Amino acid sequence: MNTSKLTQVISLTALVFILQGCVTAKVDEMTYNPPEAGIGASSVVLLGRRHASNYDTERDFVQCVRDHIQAKDDTIEIVEESQFLDALYPWFEPRTAPMHPGAIRELLTQPAVTSKIQALDTQYMIWIDGNTERTDASGSMTCGIGPTGAGCFGFGTWSDESNYEAVIWDFSNQAEVGRINTSTSGQSYMPAVVVPIPIIAPVQGTACDGIGEQLLQFLSANY
Amino acid sequence: MGLTTIDKQYPSLRAAALASCLLFLSACGANQVIVDSQFPQPALDPIPMTLGVYFSEDFKTHIFVDEPKAETERGWVVETGAAQVSLWQTILNAMFEKVVYLEQAPSTETPSAEVQSVLIPTISDLQYAIPAHTNTKVFELWLKYDIAVTDNTGDSLAEWSMTAYGKTPEAFMQSNQEAVGAAAIVALRDAGANFAVNFPKVPAVSEWLQRASDETPLREGTP
Repeated sequence: MNTSKLTQVISLTALVFILQGCVTAKVDEMTYNPPEAGIGASSVVLLGRRHASNYDTERDFVQCVRDHIQAKDDTIEIVEESQFLDALYPWFEPRTAPMHPGAIRELLTQPAVTSKIQALDTQYMIWIDGNTERTDASGSMTCGIGPTGAGCFGFGTWSDESNYEAVIWDFSNQAEVGRINTSTSGQSYMPAVVVPIPIIAPVQGTACDGIGEQLLQFLSANY
Repeated sequence: MGLTTIDKQYPSLRAAALASCLLFLSACGANQVIVDSQFPQPALDPIPMTLGVYFSEDFKTHIFVDEPKAETERGWVVETGAAQVSLWQTILNAMFEKVVYLEQAPSTETPSAEVQSVLIPTISDLQYAIPAHTNTKVFELWLKYDIAVTDNTGDSLAEWSMTAYGKTPEAFMQSNQEAVGAAAIVALRDAGANFAVNFPKVPAVSEWLQRASDETPLREGTP
């Protein structure tokens, strides 16, 4: 790579960082009995709660947390959410999903469920509950196109807020062994003078990193 | 002449009327959704009995048609028949040791020799809501079923209603049709979960299952 290209890449990277909106994040963690030597050959499943009437935990958020953990420790086997839900259908649908660890004991009295869980070798089930929502938006922008070209003029701003809670259940003891909360908020801006320049606050991404990092510390022997 | 009489006497007339309606809606650019999904193999321990199942033609070819309320709106045509059959076959095959699918409804004239009892599901209502209706960012779909269990001559043993609900959030680059289709699949999965979990808890069903198990002793070791 020649010097001019390298300068362009560095400038672009710097611009991306400069143009990110500010995010405020708070993470609370409370865990008991973490596996000292990691989870070994067992697997973990991350599931989103979707029983509330006014929101669903986003599937892409669950996937983001999964990717965050596996990017830093690929020895942790995390079962795909859809694979787990299909394998244990109909016991983990929004209507039927267990709401407390004691309900797992009842589920395990059914041979068909027990054999599926044994096949997946799941030691921890992590429920993620929450969502990201737009709390405020203002401003206006006008775009036009003419014979000489196109362009936009105006200014828009909006704020997002994320609240997520991850609850860790130990399958072998059918007990809750941890709870992690994260709250993030941030303001994004979009000024436009001919070209709109989005300055996006990565609110959901920060919440994903916060929960992912704490879960990584709980599950991994290397952190 | 009531609709029921038309159904019985002129099935071809009804089919032609429905086809004309569909043609009219498609000509106006109605939103058309064909729900056709494969459902996961349920993790259920089969009830040790043989059950007859009858799907009516209306059930197998179920179509929901919603005509537009205004000239600026587009109608909706949601075809769920194939998915309904796929779901109920998947669930019932896992719930019962043997399932016999009947070509005609049980009656005193044509009693089934193969089975003692027959389950007949009927779709009594389908409703949907899209963000344009509710000002939320969620596509929703409700299903209501009337379920009957009869003996092999058509005499009622149990009757009850069951509802199912599915929702899916708005997503980037997802069309309204795709979103309604996704909500329908969630609703169908919910219908399967609701039926599988609550079927033995319906009082009339519970009594019927008890009578059936008294008449035919359960196999040893089967719950």
